[in-house]
Amino acid sequence: MLQFLVDTLLRASDLALIALGLSMVYGLVKFPNIAHVQYAMFGAYVTYAMHASGVPLVLAIAISCAVTGVLTLGLHLLVFRRLLRAGPAIAMIGSLAVAMLVVAFMQGFAGSFPRMFNLPLTEPILIGEARVTATQLYFVGTTVVLLLLFAMLLFFTRTGRAMRALASNPALAAASGLNAEGITRGVAFASGAIAGLGGSMLALSTGAHINLGYDLLLPVFAAAILGGLGNPLGAVAGALLIAATETAVTNIDFGGLVGGDPLFMPVAYISAASFLILLLALLFKPYGLFDREVRRV
Amino acid sequence: MFDFLISSVTVAGIYALMALGLNLQAGYSGLLNFGHIAFAGIGAYATGIAIQSGWGGFSGAAIGVCVAMALGWCIARLGRNLASDYWGIATLAIAEILRTAATNEVWLTGGAQGISAIPSLFDGLGRPWNAMAFLALVLLAVLVFALACRRVGNGRFGRALRLMREEPQLAACMGYDLRSLKSRAIMSGAALTALAGSLYAHYMSFVGPDYMLASETFWLWTMLMIGGLGNTAGVLVGVVVVQGAYALVPFAKDYFGFSSDISGALRLGLIGFILLASLMWRSQGLVPEKVRKIA
Repeated sequence: MLQFLVDTLLRASDLALIALGLSMVYGLVKFPNIAHVQYAMFGAYVTYAMHASGVPLVLAIAISCAVTGVLTLGLHLLVFRRLLRAGPAIAMIGSLAVAMLVVAFMQGFAGSFPRMFNLPLTEPILIGEARVTATQLYFVGTTVVLLLLFAMLLFFTRTGRAMRALASNPALAAASGLNAEGITRGVAFASGAIAGLGGSMLALSTGAHINLGYDLLLPVFAAAILGGLGNPLGAVAGALLIAATETAVTNIDFGGLVGGDPLFMPVAYISAASFLILLLALLFKPYGLFDREVRRV
Repeated sequence: MFDFLISSVTVAGIYALMALGLNLQAGYSGLLNFGHIAFAGIGAYATGIAIQSGWGGFSGAAIGVCVAMALGWCIARLGRNLASDYWGIATLAIAEILRTAATNEVWLTGGAQGISAIPSLFDGLGRPWNAMAFLALVLLAVLVFALACRRVGNGRFGRALRLMREEPQLAACMGYDLRSLKSRAIMSGAALTALAGSLYAHYMSFVGPDYMLASETFWLWTMLMIGGLGNTAGVLVGVVVVQGAYALVPFAKDYFGFSSDISGALRLGLIGFILLASLMWRSQGLVPEKVRKIA
């Protein structure tokens, strides 16, 4: 049971940071940016390159966050702002193109062979009966601290209030004299930096590889949609739910439940489980679990 | 060189059929279907499985078309009050689930190894003539379906779809059943694409889960966006441009001595770049759709 909780927490922190950034940007620009998960892949490679050239790990991650943030901001200013004038559908297709470009760039640059980090091996730490490595503990710790900081920023500061105002009613926010463009730029940078951080920390255990972004695409979108796109903390809750389902689906003995032979879900279907949750969410709660708004058709 | 040209044109023709199928949904009806390749995959797998169990290619294609239409009906019914971008992500998820299933259900699909030794259609003819005959068949199919799509697109059904895309409320007021319009657009696109998938399986004499990669759908979208959404001639122009650029990559690889990683990246980057460029500077495409104005 404890191992189940630990696994869920680890998987959730993989997804939470990236889903958070995706949801936050969606609130301001109103289109789902498919390239967002590729920023995480980009960040993972930058961290790897820095670390391999001798920069200490923490500094490497910090640099990677900054670089990814700048990339995100640059793409927002040069590409998405322009595409958004033609509507959200065009911007979404454009984000597909950007995703392909980022993947192509990284594949041409770094090759398709996965790059493992050269980290010292450490004894796993036992918590009760569950095993975790020190890296994973730092990872979860960083995620939790960042999420707390972000929640405080969102709910207790002027900037956070401005962000929420802009997300819920752009016209009114502009009429009250909020600098929409400035806030959007700030959020774009922050979302990219967080995605870079999430990707880098994920790569510490799996290595930096080309499919890192694609593998995250549907779980992250599932988390963000479950939480209601545009609701950043909802995305974190969505990530927890997705992680719990994925862990449960692979650990439950379906045969044992009906009293037959042990029968486990094949591991290859883990990702299918999160897509299935996504589909169910879209069917029954298309605006997320925390949606309170009443809509007319 | 001659063989290469023939095979490039044949593959381009098959992609043209799939792009025409996508155009019925994305172009005329404005539906963001990001899982379109699933239909082609169903067509290809139905052919492979039917031939493996000895039913022959024709019934395989027929089964593929029926299954793809059934899936299209389900997708169209899925979340009828979903906003279009949410629906797009749902279609992407469905295509990925199907691909995961195709990779893992080894008893049915052969898993990652796929199904090989699917006979080509004109093996009886000699060496250059079988490829030529297949090419002729594909080009004939493209011609027939392009004309049919244009006819449908300019007819009552196509006009209703365009009205639904531009002014859904007005279309509903005029008595069109939007859900039925959507279902019919998706199902006809699915049928055409499944047929193309079946042809592809015959041509490659192989089916594998890689046929259903999401990037294939984006490839079709690129063709549509470059050529011009909602315009049959535009779709064909887009197919020619994109496949032409794609066919040049192997020459660049030999000429500059790229590794296979770089040439793979070059292909992907090329699609991304062309797509982005056409969205930024010519979002109507090379051959824009002419929407009739009420003067």
